[in-house]
Amino acid sequence: MNKKMLSLLAVLLLIASIVGAGGQGDSGSSGGAGVVVEEWEIPFLNSLTGAIASIGEYLQWGAERAAFEINEAGGIAGKPVKVIGVDTALEPQKGVVEMSKIVEWALVALGPVPEPVIMAAAPIAVENEMMTMTATTSLEYAEKFFPWSISWFPATADRLPPLARDWAKDYGVKKVVQFVGIYGPWPGMAAAHVVGIKEAGAQHLGDVEVPQDAVTFGPLVVKALGMNPDGIIIACWPDKAAKIVQELKSRGWTDMEKILLFSSADDAALYTTGGADLNGTIIYNYINVDQDTPRWNAFKEAYQKDHNGLQPPSLSTNYYDAVYMIKRAIEETGVTGDPKKLKEERKLIAEAMFNMKNFEGLLFKWDMSDGVPTNKPGYLFQIQDGRKKLVKEIRN
Amino acid sequence: MSLVLYYFLTITAIYILMSWGLYLPYRVAHLHFLTVANMLISGYLAGYMVQTLEVPFSVALLAGFAAGGIIGYIVSRFIGDAPTFTVVIVGFTFIYISRTAVENIKAVGATMGMFGLPMVAGSPVMHRWTLLILLYALVVVVGFLIYRFEHSRLGRAASVVFVDKDLATSMGVDIKRLGRLVQTFSSLVAGGCGVIYGFIYRSFHLDFFTFHLVGIFMTVIFVGGYATMWGTVLAAPALYGLSLILPPAVASWRIVIYGAILIAVLVLKPEGLITRRLAHKLETTLSRRRKR
Amino acid sequence: MQTFIAQVINGLSLGSIYVLLATGFNLLLLVAMIIHFAYPQVVVFSMYIAWVVLRYTGNSILLAVLAAIVSSVLLNLISAPLFQKIMKNREEVDINTTMVLSLGIGMIITDILSHGFNKGLPIAFPAKLVGETPILRVGVISLMGGQVASLAVGIVAVSGIFLLLYKTRPGRAFRAIAEDPNGARLVGIPLLRTGLESYALSGVLGGLIAVLLAMLLGYSSPGLGEQVAHKVLAVSIIAGLGNLAGGLVVGLALGILEALVQGYISGSWSNAIAFVVMLLVMLFKPRGLFGIKL
Repeated sequence: MNKKMLSLLAVLLLIASIVGAGGQGDSGSSGGAGVVVEEWEIPFLNSLTGAIASIGEYLQWGAERAAFEINEAGGIAGKPVKVIGVDTALEPQKGVVEMSKIVEWALVALGPVPEPVIMAAAPIAVENEMMTMTATTSLEYAEKFFPWSISWFPATADRLPPLARDWAKDYGVKKVVQFVGIYGPWPGMAAAHVVGIKEAGAQHLGDVEVPQDAVTFGPLVVKALGMNPDGIIIACWPDKAAKIVQELKSRGWTDMEKILLFSSADDAALYTTGGADLNGTIIYNYINVDQDTPRWNAFKEAYQKDHNGLQPPSLSTNYYDAVYMIKRAIEETGVTGDPKKLKEERKLIAEAMFNMKNFEGLLFKWDMSDGVPTNKPGYLFQIQDGRKKLVKEIRN
Repeated sequence: MSLVLYYFLTITAIYILMSWGLYLPYRVAHLHFLTVANMLISGYLAGYMVQTLEVPFSVALLAGFAAGGIIGYIVSRFIGDAPTFTVVIVGFTFIYISRTAVENIKAVGATMGMFGLPMVAGSPVMHRWTLLILLYALVVVVGFLIYRFEHSRLGRAASVVFVDKDLATSMGVDIKRLGRLVQTFSSLVAGGCGVIYGFIYRSFHLDFFTFHLVGIFMTVIFVGGYATMWGTVLAAPALYGLSLILPPAVASWRIVIYGAILIAVLVLKPEGLITRRLAHKLETTLSRRRKR
Repeated sequence: MQTFIAQVINGLSLGSIYVLLATGFNLLLLVAMIIHFAYPQVVVFSMYIAWVVLRYTGNSILLAVLAAIVSSVLLNLISAPLFQKIMKNREEVDINTTMVLSLGIGMIITDILSHGFNKGLPIAFPAKLVGETPILRVGVISLMGGQVASLAVGIVAVSGIFLLLYKTRPGRAFRAIAEDPNGARLVGIPLLRTGLESYALSGVLGGLIAVLLAMLLGYSSPGLGEQVAHKVLAVSIIAGLGNLAGGLVVGLALGILEALVQGYISGSWSNAIAFVVMLLVMLFKPRGLFGIKL
């Protein structure tokens, strides 16, 4: 063999090894080595029926949208992914049975949703050492199930005060009354608002409790106005929040930017109930719907097409990101989906997510640190004609 | 045992016991919704005792029974012979009061709930078996007591009260005492159920005890049959199981299906699926076979 | 003082909801001997029908009112045979069975509203119906047109129905077939026609109540009926079953009590306190404050 032939052979071998190495490192484009599943099935314990079915619908939509995009791009480690909606109907007695079924086969689960079902069903996942991604609840709930859960939100006590503080400062609010829905983590969130208000040098005049079955809001609003506030924070159910705003307006309230609505009120029910009466109010949340990126624009367009032009609610992105996080965890850990390795592969996935760095979410990047997200932004928006206009981004 | 079967069996037992807790006062025409409040109060009390005061589960369970019974007895002193409406209002009142009280008590978690209750036995498997055995022992004991009640003078007196209170009084039935007995007993059972219910989930949340539960237990009684105790035993697993096996597209209409079943039974078979006659026939057949 | 007056007005507004619903509830009781626990859900269903008609007719209030009335009448006529069947063998009001039947009907209505309308989200009525500005505003005191209308119509409805049932032939006929169908037949009252008319009457009232509630609240949701059902039942019982005037007084009183508790004590305790007060009344007056009128 002469020198030219040897050189040619060497070059060919070099090219072949580069291509081979690139193929193994390219996690999305080829079937991962050893993957045994034909399809990655991810169960999602969700409230698809019952009182919060409308919320469950768009959470499911977000997760399925992610699955659709992932499949269009070649799947997870070369295999398609499917999100399986498992309805718990807001009933803990159904949630525990569904979770019991899921822990027999799933690598990881999305949900449960909401808090009563989390409390009943998540312990089953913990006992079976399976990660559940409770991406719509506060850290105070999620951390009870660490390390087999991760939180989508930083601690309430860290996350909320800057939002309330900046609102109070920027709009010159000096005396605040707060409407608080007596449910789940909302009283804790209300307490965090008070910290922020005080940091802004404003005075917290008091809280007005909003009962869950309130149908008229005159008495509550009169009570609040009797304290002579110049600013109002509303931390209760979306439709009730809208009615409170309308009631405030009917009693002469005109400084709409001095009304702050909290993130859990940012739901379709707020806008369908409140309509134009919400114009000018400030609301805080964690996604900026006015961002202009191809990925977000595609998401938004698809959502609006399926939902009669409505803007995507902020929670709609949570399980979208969760599915992508699962994708990254599977591909980084080389999980195969082999049922015989279920226990160890569950552990790998959980560990990968618990401290995942530089996760590329739909709207921003963040790091997970021991199950808690860091450097996630918050935003203040002003509502105008059913849309949120960005006022300010706030990072801790 | 699979987890699915465990949860199915335990929740079914709770449904049976709580439905019996409504069935018994209904024998004297009382809809005793106080039992749901008893579940809540005793459950949270026991949870607090075990988690915060580190009292053994068995003691907390007894305390739960006792709390249910005491509340039921005190209330029954006022409403033992009250009109049906009064008993209904009492039930609603206590449900509202107990929920509001828990919302405002930080020591039991307020609106957040109580998490991570300790297991009642050393390991998860033992914990589950303990609760399962406890529940079905309770089903047997309570079932036996209700059976004995039904086949005693008290049971016959209750039947008369159900049909005509004035007639019952003229026959010498002490309506107040009878009402007190059934209400106290049902509250006692409900108290114990509330404790066990929370320990099945190892947590307590207010949304575990809502008016929705009233609807579930009423459906079980009226579909199964309100005239005998056996209808509940049939309807509880059937209705609970139905919700678990319906295909997703149909499951989204689950409540409509339950409502339709309830209406159909009330209209077509007002006494429910297991009527008194049918139960009597079965009992007679079984006793004849035993004699042979 | 201004705050107190504002709370009393709020209470009257809230109370008028209870009065309207309790009046419809009592009417069904008087003409058909039915405890329709899910009557509020029937009214909420009619609110949704009105909303749909408003959307598709460019906010035609007249058509919405007609649609609400028709839907309420139809629901009544559909459920009538069910109630009659289970009531056939009972000689007095059977609270338990009719309550359970109406519970089933309520479950179905609430779930249909959750599924079939507006993706289960609350609905809002147009400003034209609700009123854009208060007709009176002094400080925190505010009075909307809907509030005045619902209270006024509530009082008129109670008076009108009372007169109809107790002072007119048709009204006496309605009550006769409810209390004793055989006796009514013997005196020549046509059972089927009169029965249908009585159900239709309560349906008409239900439709009107739906529109009034739309004006008063400005919104509705699938769970709205359930939220008020307990209190409507309680108001009727406290007042005395079938007692129209009593329902008016107790409904308004309950509304004022709730408003004052929410305004001066605590929102979260308002239900509990309201029910405790009602319970105490029941314990001392088991037949209601104003007596049963069946």
